[in-house]
Amino acid sequence: MVYKTKKKTLSFQDTIFNLQKYWSKKGCVILQPYDLEVGAGTFHPATTLRSLGPKPWKTAYVQPSRRPTDGRYGDNPNRLQHYYQFQVLIKPSPKEIKKMYLNSLSSIGINYEEHDIRFVEDDWESPTLGAAGLGWEVWCDGMEVTQFTYFQQMAGVECKPVSVEITYGLERLCMFIQNKKSVFDLIWNDEGITYKDIFHKSEKEFSAYNFEYANTDNLFKIFEMLEEETKLLVEKKISLPAYDQCLKCSHVFNILDARGVISVAQRAEYIARIRELTKSIGKVWIESQS
Amino acid sequence: MSELFVELFSEEIPAKLQINARNELKKNIKNFFIDSQIKFNENFNVYSTPNRLVLHVDKIPNEIKLNSEEIRGPNVNAPEKALEGFIRSNNTTLEKIFKKSTEKGEFYFFKRESRKIKVSELLEKNLSEILTKITWNKSMKWANYDLYWGRPLKSILAIFNKKPLNFVFNHINSSNKTFTDKSLEEGLKIFNDFNSYIKFFKQKGILIDQDLRKKIIQNKINEIINKKNLKIEQNERLIDEIVNIVEKPAVIICDFDKKFLNVPSEILITTMQSHQKYLPTFDKKNNLTNNFFVVADIKDTKGFVKLGNERVIEARLSDAEFFWKKNKTQNLVKQVDKLKNINYFKGLGSYFDKIQRMRKLSSLISDDFLISKDKIEIASSICKVDLMSDLVGEFPELQGIVGGHFAKFQGFDKEVCLAVSEQYLPNGMESKLPKKMYSVALSLSDKLDSLVGFFGINLKPTSSKDPYAIRRMAISLVRLIVENEIKIKLKDLVVYTCSAYRDQGYDFDTKKIQNELSDFIIERLKNYLKEKKIRQDIIESSTFLLGLDDLLKAYKKSLCLNKNIKKEIGFETIAVYKRSSNILNTEEKISIETLGFADPGLFKNDYEKKLYKKIDDIRKYFLSIGKDENYEESLKILSSIKKEVNDFFDNVIVNDEDIIIKKNRLELLNMLCKTFDNYFNFSKIET
Repeated sequence: MVYKTKKKTLSFQDTIFNLQKYWSKKGCVILQPYDLEVGAGTFHPATTLRSLGPKPWKTAYVQPSRRPTDGRYGDNPNRLQHYYQFQVLIKPSPKEIKKMYLNSLSSIGINYEEHDIRFVEDDWESPTLGAAGLGWEVWCDGMEVTQFTYFQQMAGVECKPVSVEITYGLERLCMFIQNKKSVFDLIWNDEGITYKDIFHKSEKEFSAYNFEYANTDNLFKIFEMLEEETKLLVEKKISLPAYDQCLKCSHVFNILDARGVISVAQRAEYIARIRELTKSIGKVWIESQS
Repeated sequence: MSELFVELFSEEIPAKLQINARNELKKNIKNFFIDSQIKFNENFNVYSTPNRLVLHVDKIPNEIKLNSEEIRGPNVNAPEKALEGFIRSNNTTLEKIFKKSTEKGEFYFFKRESRKIKVSELLEKNLSEILTKITWNKSMKWANYDLYWGRPLKSILAIFNKKPLNFVFNHINSSNKTFTDKSLEEGLKIFNDFNSYIKFFKQKGILIDQDLRKKIIQNKINEIINKKNLKIEQNERLIDEIVNIVEKPAVIICDFDKKFLNVPSEILITTMQSHQKYLPTFDKKNNLTNNFFVVADIKDTKGFVKLGNERVIEARLSDAEFFWKKNKTQNLVKQVDKLKNINYFKGLGSYFDKIQRMRKLSSLISDDFLISKDKIEIASSICKVDLMSDLVGEFPELQGIVGGHFAKFQGFDKEVCLAVSEQYLPNGMESKLPKKMYSVALSLSDKLDSLVGFFGINLKPTSSKDPYAIRRMAISLVRLIVENEIKIKLKDLVVYTCSAYRDQGYDFDTKKIQNELSDFIIERLKNYLKEKKIRQDIIESSTFLLGLDDLLKAYKKSLCLNKNIKKEIGFETIAVYKRSSNILNTEEKISIETLGFADPGLFKNDYEKKLYKKIDDIRKYFLSIGKDENYEESLKILSSIKKEVNDFFDNVIVNDEDIIIKKNRLELLNMLCKTFDNYFNFSKIET
């Protein structure tokens, strides 16, 4: 059965515009993506660092996210090594957050009363960030479209007050809205430009880089250099530049992981090293907040 | 008589936490009524939906009468402050205080008159604490609040006798209102009693009662499967989860493209069940079909829900099919070497190291099992290769099973495939048990290798922590042996496993591992017997000084004795034993050293001779039975000595004046006990 909607299909970019407008009206600072390679919107300092400490904070932004191991050379309709998240972070978590979220779905053409919207248990943990939270993945007719998390811990520090994080997987969401089976068929704008036109080549080339050509010897060295730099900056108590170096570490690690040159035991060790960096940065950040 | 009705409204609480919270609330409220001596309907219920935790207790009196009582205060010699405090806390005056002597000295007393207390007041005073006592397996904080709850708690409705109860629970004030719209948390409405509440939601299609939801879901499913000639698997856990993630269940039957049925069914089933909470269906021959059930939380009036879910399963199954096609052709044997890059466990080498050890061990076991050494070695070599596949990456719970399918596709022997598939079974008490000897051998060697390894690096579970599920591993080992009635020398296998580790350069303290592991496994056998509802004294005596090689024997004997202990043969055997051993125990005080045998030349009468002969017969019986002892038969033979023993006690005085004769008679009884002990340690059995 195919259903028709009277309205024109919302393009990828319109979906972003609508979400930005919606959360802007809710008082969020609309930021632009962070200009470093990160694995998820959570890594943006506007979430990681700003969720720490007592000061209230509301933000929303798109974050390009890189997961080298998920690359499939552009051959798989559901998997990408580079994709977009729309991230909302509000501290302290507001009472009416569920209502805000459901209405945000309406703003992008999903009427929650016509779909089976489910809040399915999903406790979140990020070993590299030393972070943990409780919440749900939100399902829309069985498809996971959002992560909804109350941060309990970040950078090894207990969150007080608690922030709520809403992360929309934009590709998934748009595949749902536009009724597409492949991410590459998504309509990007009203001129008929597709996701494939923009990203297929880069998926192919970055998969080759991540899996085949990245110079691992250099990357191992770069990791060490960045780690050292982070530690130095932590000593100097400048948390934001230190955090930048730490994010770079994390991405270098992800590429090494994708290249398959890190064993299971090593993997745990690298993750622990990054976590230690994040924790030390978190400490410096909090000191500057009170 | 009145009703208590409480509703705790929150954001969506996960199914398991809900079930736990219902039980906790039920227990706490029951304890409160009992402790406060308030009568109540003990058949009360606690209900829940993802957003609402609802308590309803009726037949509660509005008032309770507390009888008059004398309340003891401070000692008369205590400082004056203590007396003042006592007067204040009892809300009385100095005139009503009197002194009275007791065994412990002279004290101040206050006589409280009998009085009536309103139950509503008691509830208002105590409800907050009752709620605090709910323990969550996992809980969270939100916003600026300090309260821990399963998910953010938004409001509390509390009614007694149709009137609101007013109390404060952390930052929340109770009231007589709740949100009728759970999504937007809007539509505040007053409710004064449980019935109108239930009725209101029922009209909106919302069922507060989880049992009712379950019934409705099951009825609807049955209706459809009967019509379509299908079956579903009885999966209580999944059904219970589904019941607790919806409030207005709508059962929808969906389908997926039949081409996916070429992918091994376990992969399809896992995708549907654990990832999407769908219920797969089977035809009458138990083959998976392309129909499946979705239980939605909304009436699918426009067909969006069905369409959406079918699209989701299509995408997921495409992924699974892609991986299956890719992985099944990757040569298992050629990949074995790559296991060197995969760590099994820190300090226990790679998976390549592990399969080398398993191969040695399973090869040794194959001698006992009379199975082909070549085949079990092949199974051991390839059994962990699937860990490197995309499919196991996607579906970790299908490790082994997926490997079995790869092996089958690549033309390995049928028994080898099954062994690879079942290598992780059983996984604990309830799980399926492999029966085929190749599977048992592979599973045994996997578990033994892990147990020895973890004990070797000193990662034994503690009383409260068992992060590597080592207990479950040992219980599974016990089950493999006793339920399959396998006769193996487990002790030798442990020693051999240790030496396999040593060959690889591990510096394990073999003696220590053997002792600790032996105690640990026997402890698991005891738990296992307990689960099988064997009497504690039988468990204790059957495992007393038990060696690792005798797990099966101990299991069978306990089962046999447990079954017969109240029957004649069991009862008589124990009576005979106790009668004899009691005398020996009292005589021990005069310290008679027993030699272990009586001298027939010293017998004075036939009763002694007959008893001696009977004991001798029984001994001969035990010597004649080989490995295949029939424990019930043995017990019967033991009990048959009853006549000789009774005749002996009725006609012979053990305590003869002649110390030599007395000693000889004690020797005779001692022989009897030893003979019985040879079968079972009866001394620990309670009668």
